Amino acid sequence: MIQLKSMLNCIDNSGAAIVECAMVIGQKRHASIGDRIVVVVQKQRDAGAAGMAAASGAKVKRGDIRHAVVVRTKQKVTRRDGSCIKFDDNACVLINKSGDPIGSRINGVVGMELRKKKWSRILSMAPSQA
Amino acid sequence: MNVTPLARRPLSCLKSSLRQARQQKIFSRSMVTEVQAAAAATPKTPSQSPDQNFYRLVDKKTKTIRSAFALYPSTSAAAGVPLTPPKTTNPVAALHEFQIKKLDPTGARTALFARTREAAKVGDILLVTHRRGGEPFAGVCLSIRRAGIDTAVLLRNHIGKVGVEMWFKIYNRNVAGIEIVKRRLKRARRARLTYMRKPKHDMGSVAEYVSAWRKSRRVFQTKGAKGKTAAAGASGKGGKKK
Repeated sequence: MIQLKSMLNCIDNSGAAIVECAMVIGQKRHASIGDRIVVVVQKQRDAGAAGMAAASGAKVKRGDIRHAVVVRTKQKVTRRDGSCIKFDDNACVLINKSGDPIGSRINGVVGMELRKKKWSRILSMAPSQA
Repeated sequence: MNVTPLARRPLSCLKSSLRQARQQKIFSRSMVTEVQAAAAATPKTPSQSPDQNFYRLVDKKTKTIRSAFALYPSTSAAAGVPLTPPKTTNPVAALHEFQIKKLDPTGARTALFARTREAAKVGDILLVTHRRGGEPFAGVCLSIRRAGIDTAVLLRNHIGKVGVEMWFKIYNRNVAGIEIVKRRLKRARRARLTYMRKPKHDMGSVAEYVSAWRKSRRVFQTKGAKGKTAAAGASGKGGKKK
């Protein structure tokens, strides 16, 4: 249940650590796994990681407004076969306007719902899916 | 007081006259509806049309029946015998039984979560394998929701420092198998171990238990395979061990 002012972890190497949801794109309800949102970067990763991100040329700064895809939610997500999945945190991956991820790698598990929402790029970058 | 100004109202005052007309209209309308309701209420009794035995609402203009509500005589009166109450059966339970029989013909899934000593219990580490690919999900069983065909288990695990919880329906066809990786040493004294979400009691990742279990199984498998190749007796021994 990601809505206005929700704070999410950013789990890619774009340089953002914590972002705040500013808008849910394309729907009037809350966002779930695989939904696109607009976020404001609230906290950058520490200096070393930020330096690395700068080296890769895809750095975001505090206060930047970016698009993101929700990849994990605390709210239970029910699947077609009746099974549910629930994570312990809310997390997202930053993307640009055209839908490509800003970072080059993702650390952490992402939800399988991304496949249904056609975020195969993010799914292939993720180390594990659940 | 109210009547006098209406009686000598000026002719040109359109607003007030219209208002009065509206009031009259409302009054007349209500009168009409009341009359109609009274008319409709009169032929309600079945005694007025005993031959047809149902109440008709005939449209005055087209002379057609607009609606009919059948009025049946009471059953006991018709049969002349006292009524016996129908046998009480629980249709939901029957449906669940039927569906479980259909989805679990061997009874293995039912047995795994029955209320017996051998069954899986809350606190055990379970491994769920999907039929449609994907990595099997292992986790501590936090609760078992027993609800007929909807019986489900809640598993919790950590995947890369993030806690993940999943509900699985045990009779789901996509769930190819549920295995007990490790039993809890002592019986849990709660039905739902929701406290295991707290950092103090959190078990963390169960990956090492699963890998150890896999290794132990592999040992058995290789032994069994050797026995098969060498002699039938060895494989029989392995089977007993299981």
